[in-house]
Amino acid sequence: MLNRKGFVNIIKSEFLSRVLGRLIRSIAVAFWVMVIAFTLMRLAPGDPALARLGPGAEPEAIELLQKQLRLDVNPLQQFWGYFVELLQGSLGDSLQTSTPVLSLIGQTLPVTIYLILLSTFFALLLSIPIGTAIAWSGRSPLVYGFRTITAMLLAIPNFFLALVGMLFFSVKHNWAPVFGYNTSFPENLRYLWLPVLVNTIIMTSVISRVVFSSIVETKREEFVETGIIRGVGKSRFFWFYILKPSLAPTVVLLSYMMGTMLGATVILETIFSLPGIGRELVTAVLVRDYPVVQGIVLVFGAITVFLSFMGDLVAYYLDRRVKI
Amino acid sequence: MKEGVMTRFRNWIPMPGSVGIFTGTIMFISLVLAGLIIPNFGPFKANDFVGEPFASMSAKHPFGLDQLGRDVMTRTFAGVPIDLGVAFLGVSIPFIIGTIVGIFLGLAKNRYFINLVGSIIDGVNAFPLLVLAIAMISFFGTGLQSVIIILSITNWARYARIARTRAIVVSQQNYIEAAKTLGYPRWRTIRKHIVPNVSSETIAYALSDFILVIMVVSGLSFLGLAATPPLAEWGSMIAEGRSYLSQAWWITIFPGAALCWAAVSLSFIVEGLSRRDGGM
Repeated sequence: MLNRKGFVNIIKSEFLSRVLGRLIRSIAVAFWVMVIAFTLMRLAPGDPALARLGPGAEPEAIELLQKQLRLDVNPLQQFWGYFVELLQGSLGDSLQTSTPVLSLIGQTLPVTIYLILLSTFFALLLSIPIGTAIAWSGRSPLVYGFRTITAMLLAIPNFFLALVGMLFFSVKHNWAPVFGYNTSFPENLRYLWLPVLVNTIIMTSVISRVVFSSIVETKREEFVETGIIRGVGKSRFFWFYILKPSLAPTVVLLSYMMGTMLGATVILETIFSLPGIGRELVTAVLVRDYPVVQGIVLVFGAITVFLSFMGDLVAYYLDRRVKI
Repeated sequence: MKEGVMTRFRNWIPMPGSVGIFTGTIMFISLVLAGLIIPNFGPFKANDFVGEPFASMSAKHPFGLDQLGRDVMTRTFAGVPIDLGVAFLGVSIPFIIGTIVGIFLGLAKNRYFINLVGSIIDGVNAFPLLVLAIAMISFFGTGLQSVIIILSITNWARYARIARTRAIVVSQQNYIEAAKTLGYPRWRTIRKHIVPNVSSETIAYALSDFILVIMVVSGLSFLGLAATPPLAEWGSMIAEGRSYLSQAWWITIFPGAALCWAAVSLSFIVEGLSRRDGGM
C-alpha cells in the first residue's frame, strides 16, 4: 500500500538520481574540456616556442620558453604537470606580463558577465511576452510576419549590427561613447548600453521563436484539453497549463545560448573596447601568449558545461518529462 | 463571394514555406551571379586604385571608393566567392567527417568505444565555436587555410551528434530488418538505406550551419585573424572601414549589407523548409 508520503519519496529519489546522473555526465564532459584545452597547444604544427619567438631567436631563449611551457618532457608528463597545477588552482603565468592567468581572468570576467546577464535579462523581458502573445493570438498574418522578421534578425551578424548602431548613436548623435570603460556601477552603463542593445536584439529574435513554438506545441497537449474541460480558472490555466511547461525548452536553449553568447561577446568587446575576457583572448592570440589562451579557453568551456547542467536542471524542475 | 476569393488565394499558394524558399533561393542566386560577373567582367579590378580616396557614391562608382581609392562595389562582390567559398568548405568537410563518424558510432557495438568517442564529441561541442576557432588560430597562425582546417577539426562534432542519434533511430526501422532478412550484405544496407536517411537530417542542419560558419569566417577576419587586408573579404573590409565610419560609412556598410544578404537569404530557405516540414 502506497501512502502519500511514500509516493513523494519515490519522486524525490528519482529526481535526485536523475540529477546525480546528469552531474556525473557533466564532470566527464568537463574532463574532456580540460583535455582539449591542453591538447590545443600540442595540435599546432611545429614548435610553439619557435613560433612565438620567431626564426631568429637564440637557442637558449627557445630552451627556456620550452621549459616554461613544459614542452621539454613527454606528453604524459606534460599533462600530469598541467593537471596537478590545475588542482592547486593555478592556470600558469602570462608569458607577456608574467601575471598569473587566474588573476587576469578575475579582472576581465566580471565585465563580460555583466554584459551577458544584462542582455539576457532584457531579452527574456521582451521575448517571453512577444512569443506568448503571438502564439496565443494564433492569427496567421501576425505569425507569418513574426517568423519572417525574426528569421532576418537572427541572420544578421552582431558586429555589423554593432557598427550600424555605432554609426547612428556615436557618430551621428554622440549618445554612446565609442570606446572606454568605467568599472563603477552607474557609470559603466553609459558604455554598456549599446553592446547590450545589440546582444538583446539578437537574443530576443532567437528566444522569442522558441517561446512561440513551444507554446504552440503545448497548446496541442492533452492536459491542456483536460484543463479546459475541468474549467480551470483563466489565470491558473495560463500560468500552469500553458506557460510553465512551455518554459522548459526555453531554459535549455537559454543555457546553450549563453555559451554561444560568450563567443559572440568576443567580437562585441573588441568593437566597443570593453576590457572583458573576450578582448583579452583576442589580444593573447595576437601575441601568442599560450598560457592565457589556454586558461581562457578552459574557463569558457567550464562555464558552458556548468550552464548546460544548470539549464537541464531547471528544465527538469519545470517539466518532469524532460530527459536529462 | 469573399469565400471564393479566399479559396482561390489558398489554391494559389502551393505549399507552406514556398514563398520563403523561393525568395531565399532567388536572393542567394542573384548574389552568387553578381559575385561571379561584376569582379570579372566589370570595369574595375578589386585591388586597383581607380580614383580619389573616400570619394562618395556616384554613377560611376555606385558604392563609392574606399580609403585607398578602390571601388567598393567591385570589392564587395569580389568577396562573394571568397566568403561563400571558404564557408562552403568549412561546412562540407565537417559535414562529411561528422556524418561518417556519427553513422559509425550509431552502428557500433563496443560500449567502451561508444562512450569514449561520445564524450569526446560532447567535449568538443562544449566550447563555443568562435572561441575554439580564435584560440586555435594562435597555434595554427592566421589565414583562410587555417580557418578551413580549424573548422574541419572542431565543427564535425555537431554533425556527428546529429548523425549518431539519427543512425540509431534508422537502424531500428523495419526496412533495415527487411534488408537483413533478404540476405543483403551489411555494406549494401548501410550504403542504400542508412547513409541517405541519416544525411537528409545532417544536410538540413548544414544549411543553418552555413549561416553560422559565414559569420565565424567573417567574424575572424573582422578580428584580423583570418583574411589579411588586401584580400577583398567582407569581414576584413568591414574592419578596415570601421576607422573611417564618421567620414565614409559606405566602406563599412556595403560589405556588411552583402554579408547580411547572404545570411538572410539562407535563413529564409531554412525557415521555408522548416515550415514545409509541418511546423507552423
